[in-house]
Amino acid sequence: MLRVGRALECELQLPDPRVAREHALITFNAQGALMAASGGPLKINGQSASQVVLSVGDRIDIGPYRIDVEAAPAGLPLALAVTLDAPLQPPCGERIRSAESRGPRHSRRRLSYIALLGLLLLCLLVPVAPDLLSQARQASPAALAVAAAATVNSSVSVPTAAAAAAASAITAYPHIDTVSLEEATLRGAAGNLLQAWNPGPLSQGHQIFASDCGACHQTPFVQVRDEACKTCHKDTLDHVPISHLTGPAGHEFADTRCAECHRDHKGTHLVVRSQEQCADCHRDVKQVAAQATSDNVVDFHSGHPAFRISLSDAATPNVVRRVRQATPMPADMVERSRLKFNHQVHLDPNGVRDPDGKRNPAGMQDAQGQRTVLDCQSCHVPADGGRLMAPVKMEQHCQSCHSLAFEPSVTSRQVVHGEDAQIATMLREFYARLVLGDVPEGVHPPADLPRLRPGAVLTSEDRSRALAIADRKAKQVLHELFDTRQVCSTCHEVSRTGEYSWSVASVKMSSSWMPQAQFSHAAHDSEPCAKCHDVARSKDSKDVAMPAIETCRECHVGAQPVAGKVTSDCATCHGYHGAVKAAAKGLVAGAASAQSAARVAHAHQSFKESP
Amino acid sequence: MPQHQSILEFKRGRYFKLALLVCTASVAAYAWHEPSTSQLKPYGGTWLGYTLGTIAALLIVWLMLLGVRKRSYSSTIGSVQGWTSAHVFLGASLIVIATLHCAFEFGWNIHTLAYALMMLVVGSGMFGVFSYMLYPARITNNLAGETLDSLLFKMSELDRKCRRIALELPDEFNALVMKASGDAVRHADSGKSLRPEWLGGRGRNRLGEARDALLVMGTSLSGAQVKANEQLVSEMTRLVSMTERVRLEFRYRALLKGWLFLHVPMSFALLAALTAHVISVFYLW
Repeated sequence: MLRVGRALECELQLPDPRVAREHALITFNAQGALMAASGGPLKINGQSASQVVLSVGDRIDIGPYRIDVEAAPAGLPLALAVTLDAPLQPPCGERIRSAESRGPRHSRRRLSYIALLGLLLLCLLVPVAPDLLSQARQASPAALAVAAAATVNSSVSVPTAAAAAAASAITAYPHIDTVSLEEATLRGAAGNLLQAWNPGPLSQGHQIFASDCGACHQTPFVQVRDEACKTCHKDTLDHVPISHLTGPAGHEFADTRCAECHRDHKGTHLVVRSQEQCADCHRDVKQVAAQATSDNVVDFHSGHPAFRISLSDAATPNVVRRVRQATPMPADMVERSRLKFNHQVHLDPNGVRDPDGKRNPAGMQDAQGQRTVLDCQSCHVPADGGRLMAPVKMEQHCQSCHSLAFEPSVTSRQVVHGEDAQIATMLREFYARLVLGDVPEGVHPPADLPRLRPGAVLTSEDRSRALAIADRKAKQVLHELFDTRQVCSTCHEVSRTGEYSWSVASVKMSSSWMPQAQFSHAAHDSEPCAKCHDVARSKDSKDVAMPAIETCRECHVGAQPVAGKVTSDCATCHGYHGAVKAAAKGLVAGAASAQSAARVAHAHQSFKESP
Repeated sequence: MPQHQSILEFKRGRYFKLALLVCTASVAAYAWHEPSTSQLKPYGGTWLGYTLGTIAALLIVWLMLLGVRKRSYSSTIGSVQGWTSAHVFLGASLIVIATLHCAFEFGWNIHTLAYALMMLVVGSGMFGVFSYMLYPARITNNLAGETLDSLLFKMSELDRKCRRIALELPDEFNALVMKASGDAVRHADSGKSLRPEWLGGRGRNRLGEARDALLVMGTSLSGAQVKANEQLVSEMTRLVSMTERVRLEFRYRALLKGWLFLHVPMSFALLAALTAHVISVFYLW
């Protein structure tokens, strides 16, 4: 008897776990060998069976083994060929070994190629593709022909589409109808990817065209040129007209680009403080411009010349004198405005007489309700954003106390603050009305003035007589105004030009004493007016009450910080663009163009003051 | 035979000193340099910024040439060991040079992308140096005189032996042994994963669990099978420890090689980003 199974004691051991420990039994009897299943399933010639008489050619499947019955040699009862058809998986060590020999799944080389080419595409090639396309288009024979024709046809360069496109490689945009869908997509993608090239936020004013790099960067590999800036900033003036610059230093200065001072992509500030760039020329300004009239200066703290005050005389209103402050005060540091004014009287701490006991515009009145105490603000109000004080107006600031009433007992009316002819007309008309019997409300006609009785009928004689009476009365009042009561000459220089005609010298008062300076009264709000403008003891309008440089130096130092002082470089007070041209104009035309220069400087001041 | 000299100590730390000098000089130049007030603050576009940027860019190109030098077997320009030592130290000094070049100005743009890629490359390189210092000794201790192949061979022998012994035991023991064979393969392969051990990179040791299960199941046996099971368990225990050693061997190899899969492709990405950075700066000058 033969036991077939995986156990050791089986005579026919089939060492595989898929075979039962004792799987089958082979017994020998008269018919031959009989194999019967005893522990597991048998397949005999492809069919399940439980036993079979073995004959040559039979095939028995036990688990993964195939047993073929073969012809037994002489003397032996049975011959079996055992084959393992389906071996088990290899042992763990071999499986690991074979996996190892397959090699790594990932390739560093392939990853590197992908990374290199991918990033080059995204970060470099796609963003510049539109420009390369435009250049290719411009270089095409058709485009070159158009450009050539344009230059031939116009001796003066008229910007044609092709010429303009050639000048600005980055901004060249073909006509819409020639752009294919693919190109439009590429341009869109390029525009988005080009934003990745932006190194920092733009200044506020430039954010409007932030998506168009070519607006400023017009030519590749060329720094931003002035033409780009001048597209919008057409009216910005040079610091010094190019024609004034002399010598090598001057030529170097003339070649300075806008972008050397104005650097963008740094957030909101675009105007720069550039003290040493100013000092480079201004330490010896005649090297740069031989006709320069300014003193050499390097820093505010030391070596800055005393201020020059711009003064003018009412007699010669178009001439501006610039007088340098000095100790002792120069003789021509006076303003001849032809207006009489006494600051000391008006600023009396005990107040001034208010003829009607009314509140003055400033609203200040003393305890008794009679004297009005004035201060600087009563007449001087900031204008032009705090750079200057608004001109003092007689009607607004003076008339409430300095009444022009011509006959206070008769009427509260005042004459117009104008020419003597206007005053005369006004008076004649007023008295003519009274004489003719039409007395307005609130008017108490003077006793000595003849008047028509109510209901009287006028002849032409009566009419001329009435007008003559009015005329005479008017002249009398004029005489009182000008000569007797000296109403006008309280403030004005009055001279007689005839029996009943006078001339008042025209008044010119400066409002801009340092038109080149950038100054804000608002920034100095915390200081009292008198700190810089010492008028408390001024009795005459010719006094000039502008602060000297020492006053400013109490708080301001130069570009090197000092503890407890305000760091101030050139740009704190001085404008740059158009400074010289404005000064030149100011010498001739006076405050008007100085104001326009100030406007230019002031417009740029707003760059500094915005947060 | 001369004693092994680490690339960090090559020629008495010559390249460490050079890198230190370069960093110190850069910091000194940065501290001393005052940008013209039109430039408001230091940034990549001052003359110092351009200088540092040029130095950094040339340095990056030279660092990548290590891959060329180490494959040029006939070259006599220095030794590969010297090149590698310089590569490590000068690569580390890039952190200082590039940061001073950009003057700490960062944004969401290609320029900061190049910087970030550079930091990734340098960081992965530092991990590489760290792994080269740490793991070779551990590999030697782990193998303890064997090689990977010999370990695997022994594992195969044990596997076959376990299968042979299990034949005497009931079917469920055989099934467990067959499953344990697969578990051993999986446990060894888990070493190739780079997940940190403390983040579950080790995984369950199902092979050990199989061995424990055999013990429990063995209590239901009797007679000669008990002894067979004891033998099976002891062979299985040897298999468990050997599998663990193979797993560690794979893990150390992965750590020694894996960082390069970041370091090398990232350095090419850096090359592309750097090219785009330099060209973009002067294209839109």
